[in-house]
Formats: sequence, C-alpha cells, structure tokens
Amino acid sequence: MTRRGGRRTARGALGGLAVVAGLVLAAVLRAWLPSPPVYDGLVLPQQPYDYVSPPPNLSSSNVQPSSGEATFPVQNGKVAGGGVETDDRQAIAFFGLDAVHVSASAVSVKLRIDPVTNPPPWPAGWQIHGNVYKFSGVEQPSGAPAAVTSFQITLRYPPGPFQSLWFYDGTTWHELSTKKAPNGDPFAGATLTAFGEAGAGAPRGAQGDTIITILARLAETYGLLAFIIVFGVVAVVQEIRRRRKKA
Amino acid sequence: MISVAVQPRAARLTLLVLLTAATRAALVSLGEALSTGVFVACLGAIVLLEARPAVGEKGWSMRWSLVAGGVVGAVLVAPSVGNGLSGRALSDFWVWGSVAAVVAALEEIVIRGWLQPSWSAERGPVAGLMVAAAVFAVIHLPRYGIVALPLDFGVGLAIGGLRLVSGRVLPCAVAHVVADWGAWFLA
Repeated sequence: MTRRGGRRTARGALGGLAVVAGLVLAAVLRAWLPSPPVYDGLVLPQQPYDYVSPPPNLSSSNVQPSSGEATFPVQNGKVAGGGVETDDRQAIAFFGLDAVHVSASAVSVKLRIDPVTNPPPWPAGWQIHGNVYKFSGVEQPSGAPAAVTSFQITLRYPPGPFQSLWFYDGTTWHELSTKKAPNGDPFAGATLTAFGEAGAGAPRGAQGDTIITILARLAETYGLLAFIIVFGVVAVVQEIRRRRKKA
Repeated sequence: MISVAVQPRAARLTLLVLLTAATRAALVSLGEALSTGVFVACLGAIVLLEARPAVGEKGWSMRWSLVAGGVVGAVLVAPSVGNGLSGRALSDFWVWGSVAAVVAALEEIVIRGWLQPSWSAERGPVAGLMVAAAVFAVIHLPRYGIVALPLDFGVGLAIGGLRLVSGRVLPCAVAHVVADWGAWFLA
C-alpha cells in the first residue's frame, strides 16, 4: 500500500468512527430536548394552537386541547416538587418542594391541568385570548382536594392581541403579574397562590393583525427568501466567472 | 511571550465563522429575518472570499453522497419519530425549508468544506474533525442554549466524519438538511 493510500484509509477509519460516535452521542442526547432540534440556528414555527372554541376559519383544522396529569408521592408529610404539562404543551405548571399541602393520611397527590369548556365570563373590558385551563390537585387515596401555597404556570397563547394572564379564584378574575417569553415566543408565565382557573386575556377591542403587521410579517418571511435567492444567484455568477477565468 | 503556532488560514476561517455567529446573535432582537439574512450574507461572503480549488482529494460519487447523506440525516431524525407528527402545515414548509436548506448548505461548505480541511492540513485530521464539530456547536449556542451544545457537538462529529469518509461536502449538506427538515414534521 502506498503512503498516500494508507493515509486515506486511516482518514476513512477515523471518519467512520466519528460518524458512529457522533450518531450514538446525538441519539442519547436527543432525549434531553423537548422537541426535535434544528441545526441551523433557525426557529421552528409553533405548531397550530389547539382551541377549545376555535375561530370560525380554524374550526375545520382545529384539534381539541389536551389535559395533563402527574402524581407526586408524599414523603414525611411533604409533597415532592415537580411539573405537570398538558400533552400538547400548551399549559405547564411547576410545583416546588412542599408547595402542595395534604392531610396526614395522604400517600400521594394527583395534580391535573384541564382545558375549561365553559369558562366564567371575563371582566368588563377584557376578552379571553386562547383557552382557560383549570389547575387542580386531589389527595390519594381519599380524593380530597389538596391545597397549594404557590406554583408557577406557563401558558401558550394563540396569535393576536395578548396582554396578561388572569386567574379565576371561584368568584372573580384577577390580573396576574405576567412575564412573557423572549424572542416573540408565544408563552407567558405567572405565579398562582391557589388552585383554580387561568387564561390569557387582552383588552376588549384590542387590535389583532393589521394590514401593516401582515405586510411586515410577509416581508419578514419572503424578504429573507428573496435575499437568499439574490445572493445565491450572485454566488453562482461569481463561480461561473471564476471557472471561465481559470479555463 | 506566548506564541500560537497556528497557520493563518484555519484560525482566520474559525474567527470569521465565530464572528458571523456572534453578529447573528447580536441581531436576534431585531428580528429573525434580519439576523438570519445577515448570517447568510456573512457565510456567503466567506464562501466567495475564501474559495480555493480542491486539490488531490478524490470523493465519493454523487449517488453515494446523496445516499450516505440521506441515511445519516435519517438516523439523526430517527429518535424523534416515536413522538408522532408535529401538525405544522405543509404549505408553510416550503419557505422555511428553503431557508433551512440554504443556511445548512452554506454552513457545511464553510465548516466542513473549508474550515475542517484547513485545520486538518495544519494540525491533522483529528484536530480538523474536533475543531469543526466544536465550531458547529458553538455557533448555535446563542439560539439553542447550553443544553443543546453537546448534541450539536455530537452531530458535528457525525457530519465531520462523513466528510472524512466521503471526501465531499455534499453528503454533509444532505445529512444536515434532512435532519433540519425532519424537525419540521416531527413533534
């Protein structure tokens, strides 16, 4: 075997080893991420929002939102912390250690998130934006309701006007101190101090998409594509010129 | 005095790629289109300015390159198949998919096409493979966070290995694009 041939074989062996090692590593580490990764630094558009009551133009394609449930053990009278999320990841709740309080006979507590089919009427001047979710907890095995001191919720909201998250305590709605996710991600978080219902709200009559925002969105999407096409053409022309010059 | 005995091209290319990624990260707050557009423009500029004719490297045929790239891309996507489909509309895919393909191809031309061989020529193939995988992971850090860094490094190793085995960039670009497109369709 020539020296060059041997070097090529060694490179091939190294490359093969790297391919296998990289693929195994990627398969193992993929489990850490909630969704399939993109390797371009691009953001995947959100999946369609699942409405309890979809707007008329989305009723044919709408999928009903899902519930979520998790059971936490009671150890030494304290409930371990953890999270609950709906299957479609539109509502998430995080409970700290000992945030949920149960009676002495409880062995575990079942925490649920359910989309509310008929939410209570919203306060005057406000409108619901997306779904209302009910956060609840019951002791096991008695089935008695559990109490909670505080927990964090994150709700996804659909496109359109959104201002803040609201909480319904059984009698009235309360506006929550709301933290929106960065980079335009349609998620907002807040802290609840009791089980109950929560949803996203917007001032009644708030503007959704205007012709300007629609045009801006189109420019953002197709402008980038146009830019890339123009640049691609320039690159191809440059390459052709370079090859002609070389010939 | 500390002297870094690295030849200029590999280091310069690495710096350019990292600066490009940093510029993109700095512009994210101004919008996805602008930051990605500038990123594409900078990678394109690197492609134009750093172009060198390939010398003495025999690569796989076009057919084998496409097959190998498709297989590696499919294996990268495979762990997500069990989660079902995402529900994203096919009609929205074409624009996103085109942009993803162009960005992926440019990244592969610059990183696997030039950066990896440059480091390989100067420091050996292991160094080339490792530096290229590290750069690939780091440039995506601002967007996906530290949690995705090891995964991106692993994917960089796999695609870099494909470059070494095949002697071409085409299978790397195909694998990269297939993996990206899979993310659109899978939940």
